[in-house]
Amino acid sequence: MTATAVPSTARTLWSVLVRSIVTRVRVVGLGLLGAGAIALGVAVHLSNAANRPDAAWSLVDSYGLSLLIPVVALMFASAALGDLAEDGTLVYLWLRPVPRYQLALAAVAASVTVVVPVALIPLLVGAAISGGGFRLIGATAAGGMLATVAYSAVFCGLGLRVRRALAWGLAYLLIWEQAVARVSHGAARVSLFISTRSVAAYLARRSPPHNAVAWTTGLILPLVVAFAAVVVTTRSLNRGEIS
Amino acid sequence: MTVVDDTTLEVRQLSKWFGSVVALSDLTFDIGPGVTALLGPNGAGKSTLFRVLCGLANPTQGTVRIFGEDPRANPALTRRIGIAPQQDQLFEHYTIVDFVGLAARLHHLSDPTASALRAIEIVDLDPGDSRPLSAYSKGMRQRVKLAQAIVNDPDLLVLDEPLEGLDPRQRLGAIELFRSLGDAGKTVIVSSHVLDEVERFGSRILVINQGRLAAEGPFSAIRDLMDDRPRHLRVGTDRPPTLAAGLLISGVVTSARVNDGWIEVETGDAPAFRRSVAAIARNCEVRLTEVRALDDDLESVFAYLLGPR
Repeated sequence: MTATAVPSTARTLWSVLVRSIVTRVRVVGLGLLGAGAIALGVAVHLSNAANRPDAAWSLVDSYGLSLLIPVVALMFASAALGDLAEDGTLVYLWLRPVPRYQLALAAVAASVTVVVPVALIPLLVGAAISGGGFRLIGATAAGGMLATVAYSAVFCGLGLRVRRALAWGLAYLLIWEQAVARVSHGAARVSLFISTRSVAAYLARRSPPHNAVAWTTGLILPLVVAFAAVVVTTRSLNRGEIS
Repeated sequence: MTVVDDTTLEVRQLSKWFGSVVALSDLTFDIGPGVTALLGPNGAGKSTLFRVLCGLANPTQGTVRIFGEDPRANPALTRRIGIAPQQDQLFEHYTIVDFVGLAARLHHLSDPTASALRAIEIVDLDPGDSRPLSAYSKGMRQRVKLAQAIVNDPDLLVLDEPLEGLDPRQRLGAIELFRSLGDAGKTVIVSSHVLDEVERFGSRILVINQGRLAAEGPFSAIRDLMDDRPRHLRVGTDRPPTLAAGLLISGVVTSARVNDGWIEVETGDAPAFRRSVAAIARNCEVRLTEVRALDDDLESVFAYLLGPR
């Protein structure tokens, strides 16, 4: 393999996977969820000025980081390898002289590529419209990007490893991230939701959320989780059963 | 077990099971250059065997070596392998040039487009067809799969039921292609559940049934083995009782059952029966309308091969 072959192959895989996950139903359905962030931003902008900072932060925290980005990442990332494994076309990428880590990374990159315009950018627009200011926009960008990368990596692996990845992913988001991590301090330390909220709250100069972790932990944990998820996905591609 | 010179594929005591279901059981064989047909009825374990051979599935027990290497976790080895899987699904939004070109790019070929065009022409499809693959017929999709499998000029070609859905002319072309690749020193493994198809490959065959290797060797040897068994044939005629009597008197059949417009006969020597039936009909002054084996289906062949003899 030549030196130029690696980036070229990764680009090719990325392009195939983006084309595969971008379906009209997904983009329209999840685009509406993204548009919801803009609509909420407008609503906050029109609300009482005294409540606006709290409402703007609520938009980012309670809608963007809690619901919008995790759900959109779940839908696209679990499909990146999962759909191909399910319909049997993964073999057309797998049975090629391509290092499997490139396939795993390309899947994560494809998911991030789609989640950013469908969820993160509308959330940034919503935050901007709400009048939260540059600090809130910066916090949204940082927390949102961390969440996008980490959830994409986790759900790419999930899509490859389990059938009904959407159900498992939703269960993980609802039970672990939204319930257990909120009440258990130990669980919060390994929660992507708590981590990304902690980073965003720190950058936005908001009071830390319940069970918050240090902003450095919040910054590092999603990256470590993303890396570990790519390793696990690569391992699955190397050792698992390919449809 | 047959040991093949210049072994491409070496399978030793291979078993694969899913829970309590045994898909493959203790298979041991070698495959070398040329065309090898993997013959077995639907559900025999052919596709599972192919998946294990290509590294797509793990053996539960035993080993597989391709060119002396383990196909699992060895992407570099796939440079030398082409596979056409059984499932129909392709990248449906792609055109044929996009799809075959993708395979060429992932194989790092120096001129992917030229390689793709060459492969598409070999399988007799139109490289200028701008329709998405979702618009292709079953036969066309089979040829698309074949094109992406040969685009890298592989040394080992694994084709799962590649003739399914092809019309007779396309079948002939595909069989010719397999034979020419085999003659050129490539190892071509083709699965099929149709006996006549396999006969035309003129190849070595592996017969698999219920996950077990039932027989292996040149097709002629398997055919002889099958010809030795008692056969049931349907013989169409305008005067069934007369022809039945003539056949019984001649001794080429051991029993004959008369029906309306045809008789069912049993013979211990099918080739001799086929050679003499026309002459016997002529002598009896009856018209012969058909001679057809009633038990040439694979299940009955396998029942014979696997049963006590």
